[in-house]
Amino acid sequence: MTFWLVLTVNSITFGGLLFLLSAGFSLIFGLMRIPNLTHGSLFMLGAYFGATFIGGYLTLQFDFWVAAVLAALSVAVFGAVIERLLLRQLPGQQMAQVLVTLGISFMVADFCLLLWGGDPINVATPQGLAGFVRAGPAVFPLYRLGVIAIAAAIAAALWLLLDRTRLGAMIRAGVDDPDMARVVGIRVSQLFTIVFALGAGLAAFAGVVGAPILSVYPGLDQDMLPLALVVVILGGSGSLLGSFVGSIIIGFIYNFGQALFPELAYFVLFLPMLLVLILRPQGLFGRFVP
Amino acid sequence: MATNALELSGIEAFYGDSHVLHAVTFACGPARLLGLLGRNGAGKSTCMNVTVGLLAPRRGDIFVFGHRVTGLPPEQIAARGVALVPQGRRIFKSLTVRENLVVAARAPTDGRPASWTLETVFAMFPRLGERVNHIAAYLSGGEQQMLAIGRALMGNPRVLLMDEPSEGLAPQIVHEVMNTIRKLKESGLSIVLVEQNPTLVFDVADDIVILNSGRVAVVSTPAKLKQENVDLRQHLGVF
Repeated sequence: MTFWLVLTVNSITFGGLLFLLSAGFSLIFGLMRIPNLTHGSLFMLGAYFGATFIGGYLTLQFDFWVAAVLAALSVAVFGAVIERLLLRQLPGQQMAQVLVTLGISFMVADFCLLLWGGDPINVATPQGLAGFVRAGPAVFPLYRLGVIAIAAAIAAALWLLLDRTRLGAMIRAGVDDPDMARVVGIRVSQLFTIVFALGAGLAAFAGVVGAPILSVYPGLDQDMLPLALVVVILGGSGSLLGSFVGSIIIGFIYNFGQALFPELAYFVLFLPMLLVLILRPQGLFGRFVP
Repeated sequence: MATNALELSGIEAFYGDSHVLHAVTFACGPARLLGLLGRNGAGKSTCMNVTVGLLAPRRGDIFVFGHRVTGLPPEQIAARGVALVPQGRRIFKSLTVRENLVVAARAPTDGRPASWTLETVFAMFPRLGERVNHIAAYLSGGEQQMLAIGRALMGNPRVLLMDEPSEGLAPQIVHEVMNTIRKLKESGLSIVLVEQNPTLVFDVADDIVILNSGRVAVVSTPAKLKQENVDLRQHLGVF
């Protein structure tokens, strides 16, 4: 019983992390139709930045949460630069976008290896969340519950932003009909940069928040990217609800799969993706595009 | 001579290799309604796309109240006071009625107080007011057309382009839409009305331009065309 309970909490925690990672991926793919294969790298870059800020390598030592926000802002700027300087030159050319974003992801990986070396960096759990919560026989790390709360709060904030503000309505109008959106005066090009930067920042934030659990190591990017892809294909691109539900589902499949059928973990992970692609290509909550 | 509200001058436009507009030149005066007629594929919608900046002309110029807007991106042309009610309405389907209007809101270009707000749009189209929180995709065809017109008005334009606003609507609704257009014209808006149906346009238009195979075939007024008894079928008929 305890085993299942702990596994469930771990699944939801991991789902929360996946949501932070994939919400941006989904928005970027849904709004801009850019398959952003640097998304795993942005996660890893955020994690390395965060670890550096927290570890005090820059003479200044930052609080965990300050470091997370700083990492998110830095990577958001990096994302905006990639979007403006590179992806902007390749509108509608998905093959070129795939190659460029894949190329950048290799470069980021090399850059990180050069700067931070090949050894994993462990990041301490932030103060105040280092303890445990006891529920009967089960013991949960407080931090994992904290991650769930943060992911839920950010999900709510994103929903409010997209669903309840004029900016959000403009973004959705841009998804519905980009040309018409421009004709009514919406600066779709600026919105694209904002969305890309927001997605990059969220991925980086997820990287820092995930660091005490996953640690930071070369290859973290390539571990996370397929998960973001699976979540978005499962949930449907451009749908926040889809990312949310998809993340939780994948969180469960990933944790339960690894615990119960470790040798089949990837098979179990990608099987639902294949089924969705065959039976409902737009994803569980995606909009049908004929 | 007073500045024209909208002027197309020697426009040559292409879709890929196909040459769709040949030296198209016409002008719509301030507070006038220009009826742009022509059969399917004559280039009417292409004129609209060129004017709002969705299609860059290869040659020629577009002026809005004397300012050259040729080659500007659509959002900047919108900022110069041009609004479009597009063919097929193209409302933002996943947005609510209110959101469709709010995303297009813009203060007038010349610093006057905004005459078109949510309140004034709802006063003109009470049905939209009743459905303010409905998702636009679930509106009826007539309501979607009203929403498309309301959305264009929210930009407080000086030039309003309407591309076949009667298309696919029941006669009663077409009648309502034409009444709306008449009111807008009386309010001093300069309007270009694209239609396939000449009788609708002759009722409201001050000037008539007829396109034929991407060329301006006729520039006239409804009264003159009637007086001269011009055979419109030559330009508009199917055969």
